Amino acid sequence: MKGDPIPDQHHIARLCRPKYISDEKIQASAFMVRVGKESLSVNWLEFLKSSSRENEIAELQNIYSKKFNKVEVRAQIAVLNVGEVREKVLAESPDRRNLKVLHNPEINDPSHSGIYNLRHDDEIIIAELILETVRETYPARK
Amino acid sequence: MLGASTAYGDNFIDYHSPGRQPHSGVWNPRDIQNYWESYVRGRKYLTFLSTPAVNTENSEVYTRGWLEKKDPFTQTDLLANEEEQVQELILEIRTSPSICHGEILATRLVTLFYDAKEEDFANLGIVVGSLRNFYNFFQLHTDLKCPTISLTPDNNIYASWRVDQKKVFSVLFLPNGDTRFVIFKPNDLHPERQIRISGTATTDILMHTVAPYGVWDWISE
Repeated sequence: MKGDPIPDQHHIARLCRPKYISDEKIQASAFMVRVGKESLSVNWLEFLKSSSRENEIAELQNIYSKKFNKVEVRAQIAVLNVGEVREKVLAESPDRRNLKVLHNPEINDPSHSGIYNLRHDDEIIIAELILETVRETYPARK
Repeated sequence: MLGASTAYGDNFIDYHSPGRQPHSGVWNPRDIQNYWESYVRGRKYLTFLSTPAVNTENSEVYTRGWLEKKDPFTQTDLLANEEEQVQELILEIRTSPSICHGEILATRLVTLFYDAKEEDFANLGIVVGSLRNFYNFFQLHTDLKCPTISLTPDNNIYASWRVDQKKVFSVLFLPNGDTRFVIFKPNDLHPERQIRISGTATTDILMHTVAPYGVWDWISE
């Protein structure tokens, strides 16, 4: 349901476009929020109810290909653990930032979710901390 | 916002397949040189985008050429003007003798320009003010190592110098002459801990601002 917090043991995926990637490595800029937007878009992997991580990623690739005009061949998916992101940022950000990871479904993307409580004035330290929690990456298209 | 290309007038950006250019992949220094030569030949057509960039996935290849305009100023003109400035600054970065790794930086910036354009044709590619700020920083400091460069969601330049995953100095170049920076470095007295510093400074005093943290040692050659 919209606004439900995603459990800490669950995982989220972030679509990282090529402009956020250098030498095939995702950069912290992938975790900065666009001016005027309230949250960073992610997808809730367990919501997809797939049997394995590989199947979750395949399902996500299908969602992206339907949702976006184009998914670039160099785009990647970064997988993050919700609890790890929240703990890392809470423990290591200067203002002990308490990020919220909330379900925010869209008509064509029911697993769509968002990381909330990001701000623009100190976005880069939070983005660098989130980057340190990326454990898995996958191609964003098949 | 310049992305709203329909806001003024009825002139739209004309993207079309060139048909005359091979699909050669990532821009290389020769591409930039080609651009430069066509640019200085008279500036009637700008062919900055005449060579495909990073897209190697059989998608359409985009060319942009525009004639000198006699119409009243339109949103398209504004976009074109800012793109011209981006092109000129990238060429400055490539050709300036005082900028270290200018060729590598310019090639990377062109790639990012195309990446941003591929995501959304209507945007500027790279925000010109951010690029100018980046350029000024490299003009001021002539012995910098080559950073890892990416773009933010708003297409500002984000540069990182990272040493063995323990030391990071990252800078966001804002269009207004400010930078936001972050430093992660080991705490020498408590090796299990990390020192994290972040702040804002104008480009001209950035290095002075971060000097006490030893950043210079790991980002300069």
